[in-house]
Amino acid sequence: MDEINSKQFISVRLDKDLYGMEITYIDSIIVMQNITRVPKAQPYFLGIINLRGEVIPVMSLRRKLGLPDDEFTNVSRILIVKPEPSVAPFGIIVDEVNEVISLDRDEIELINYDEDDTMAGFSEGIGKLGDELINILNIPEIITGNEK
Amino acid sequence: MDVSQYLEIFIDETREHLQSLNEHLLVLEKEPENEATINEIFRAAHSLKGMAGTMGYKKMQRLTHDMENVFSEIRNGQMKATSRLVDVLFKGLDVLEEFLVNIQTDGTEGKTDGQEIISDLNKILESGLGKDDSSASDAKDSASTPADKGEDKPSKDYGKYKFKSLSIDEHEKKAIAKAKLLNLNVIGLTVYIQEYCVLKGARAYMINRSLEEHGEIIKLSPSAQDLEDEKYDYDYSAFVVTKETPQQIINNAISVSEVKEVVADYINLEEKELEKYLNIIKNEEKQSALSMTSGDSGDLKAKTAPSRKQPSKPIANRSVRVDIEKLDVLMNLVSELIIAKNSLVSSSSSLHDQLEIAFYDQIEYLERVTTNLHESVMKVRMVPIENVVNRFPRMIRDLSKKLNKKMELYMTGEETELDRTVIDEIGDPLMHLLRNAADHGLESNEERKNQGKNPVGSIYLDAYQDGNNVVIEVSDDGKGIDVEKIKRKAIDRGTITEEQASRMTDKEIINILFMPSFSTSDKVTDVSGRGVGLDVVKTKIEALGGDIEAKTKLGQGSNFIISLPLTLAIIQSLMVQISTEKYALPLGNIQTVENVTPDEIKMIQGKEVLNLRGNVIPVIRLGEILDCEKSQEAEELVIVVIKKGERLAGFVVDDLIGQQEIVIKSIGKYIDNHKIISGATILGNGEVALILDVNSLV
Repeated sequence: MDEINSKQFISVRLDKDLYGMEITYIDSIIVMQNITRVPKAQPYFLGIINLRGEVIPVMSLRRKLGLPDDEFTNVSRILIVKPEPSVAPFGIIVDEVNEVISLDRDEIELINYDEDDTMAGFSEGIGKLGDELINILNIPEIITGNEK
Repeated sequence: MDVSQYLEIFIDETREHLQSLNEHLLVLEKEPENEATINEIFRAAHSLKGMAGTMGYKKMQRLTHDMENVFSEIRNGQMKATSRLVDVLFKGLDVLEEFLVNIQTDGTEGKTDGQEIISDLNKILESGLGKDDSSASDAKDSASTPADKGEDKPSKDYGKYKFKSLSIDEHEKKAIAKAKLLNLNVIGLTVYIQEYCVLKGARAYMINRSLEEHGEIIKLSPSAQDLEDEKYDYDYSAFVVTKETPQQIINNAISVSEVKEVVADYINLEEKELEKYLNIIKNEEKQSALSMTSGDSGDLKAKTAPSRKQPSKPIANRSVRVDIEKLDVLMNLVSELIIAKNSLVSSSSSLHDQLEIAFYDQIEYLERVTTNLHESVMKVRMVPIENVVNRFPRMIRDLSKKLNKKMELYMTGEETELDRTVIDEIGDPLMHLLRNAADHGLESNEERKNQGKNPVGSIYLDAYQDGNNVVIEVSDDGKGIDVEKIKRKAIDRGTITEEQASRMTDKEIINILFMPSFSTSDKVTDVSGRGVGLDVVKTKIEALGGDIEAKTKLGQGSNFIISLPLTLAIIQSLMVQISTEKYALPLGNIQTVENVTPDEIKMIQGKEVLNLRGNVIPVIRLGEILDCEKSQEAEELVIVVIKKGERLAGFVVDDLIGQQEIVIKSIGKYIDNHKIISGATILGNGEVALILDVNSLV
């Protein structure tokens, strides 16, 4: 059993690329809903939503990663993530949610990004899934890191 | 014995006792003869000792034991409370507090050692009692001096009858006299335990238990604690008040196993002494009889009359200790209830025609009940600021000594209540303001005399409710804030330019004090002067939703006014529409709402203003500040007029929606929080609306 070496990721689509996030961070997935804008916030925070009585901030992953802006469709989803179990959650908008996949550690290759590439701090490597490449994201960095 | 479950209670009660000791020591310093205070201190030290012993904190136990010793002597009139003693005692209290902090962090007393204090206390004890009274201290001595075995130095050799050589203190003499009055015997005995006995502590305990079945033990030598700790050789002595004869007592004691021998005899006071104490007892009984008769009629009326205590002690509160977490849970539930109620109201309004009158009655009833519930829960969370400010007199006393300036602290309104979460945070800012007043505000005693002021400086701390807020004022009658000095320092440091300085009002200059790293002090003391204080104070207070203002009169003193909101989580608000978005404005500061035509708004110095019935107030377009989409110019503008202190300002919104009770929800820490957004709320229809703190813009 190579349980220790493989992890499960949820695969999402942004624009044309696939991105993966460790499922341990994911609390839930909800459909797109009205986001209340928060003036003077960071540009990648689109605002706040009401999640069963709690106020949760929502981030645009596209903006955070420096990709072109969101266009919401009916498959757009908000992933509710928690960087740590006891910490407040927040939401990440993605274009589409695909599936849960398992990757062994040796199936993930580390890529060296240029220092000034926005992706640099956020990516933990590229995973190979059959023919496709999936960019594994570092959730805690996304939460705390600032745009470069 | 696993005492960890009692740890929390221990910490709470120890803290209370330490606080009580602090307060009483302050009183004692001013009134060294105050019997009530001395008794209170003795009681508190004694309780502390007992608790520390039970929990196994030996260092604490030793220190409190020695403090108790000293107080016992003071109580007996063998010693006076000198100012040197009070200083040492205060230091002792500080050490005890350090122990407590360590215990809170990691469960042990830590590295602090009370040895210095203990030896100081012992020195004072010896010098206070004088040489000829050394035998009196022996009976109470214990492991504090290692060379001491805890036994007396008998002046006569009574052989086996060691109890005869014990010296008897005043209280014990009184007890003996009282026993005689009640026709009871006082029997002294010395118990010898077999040398092969292993558990001496348990053995002594059992012997004492059996003695107590037949009477009352009024004296033990060594003390009960030492007996339990096995700090005695193989014998100890006791005095027992009982109906029985010495022989019967001997029989009782010897029936316990591993007891080798018991000797006993009657204890009698000399005639003169007996008379003296009988008189004292008679006088006391007369006094209590008088107070009894006056209290009697009261007792007949109210069965629950409070127990007779000394006048300075407050009547004991019937109260329950509640975990803060439970209160928070309760608070959250009430918040959710209000959100649910709001949803119900909003969905009912859309079904307006189809619903019966009875439904509306029920909705109204529900609203009343939830509002009452909310108020009650808020009250539960309210705590008088007394808890926070009661350590200030001690702090001022210490500062007074340290800075060598005589000063007095006058506090009013300690019963004013604040929410629990606010109370925890307000202590440090207040402390800082007080230290500022003491260090910077008040001049030295001579300077004050030269100016014709009372050489003893005064610092005032006043707390009171004002509308929806609690106001706390820290003022002093010192030299005031030198606006010019601030101006110069600010210009020097480049904080402002000469030109800006000339345009700023005094108030704006004073606000520079609240900026980080600003201090007009020439030197840094460890009391203050580093410039990290006032801006932290301001940040903390603003984080609590309040604000702080400084007023001053050069040469006469300064006044810092802190204003804090009373309720934190649920407020009345005015819902407004700005462009396409909905926002909530807290109702508390809203003065009026006006409809004006666009041409009523004039420009002065590039800023928009409005003439409102004689008052010229600034006009602020909220849509612009919040980066909202531009809406069309309406024929009429809706302006919400906000009052903050004495200032007014008008805020332009596009439309009014209505008044609503809302639950304040935090936006969380991920989003950069602009000052103007104080939170968010969930409306009846599930939408999220932001709450604006327009106060900050006034």
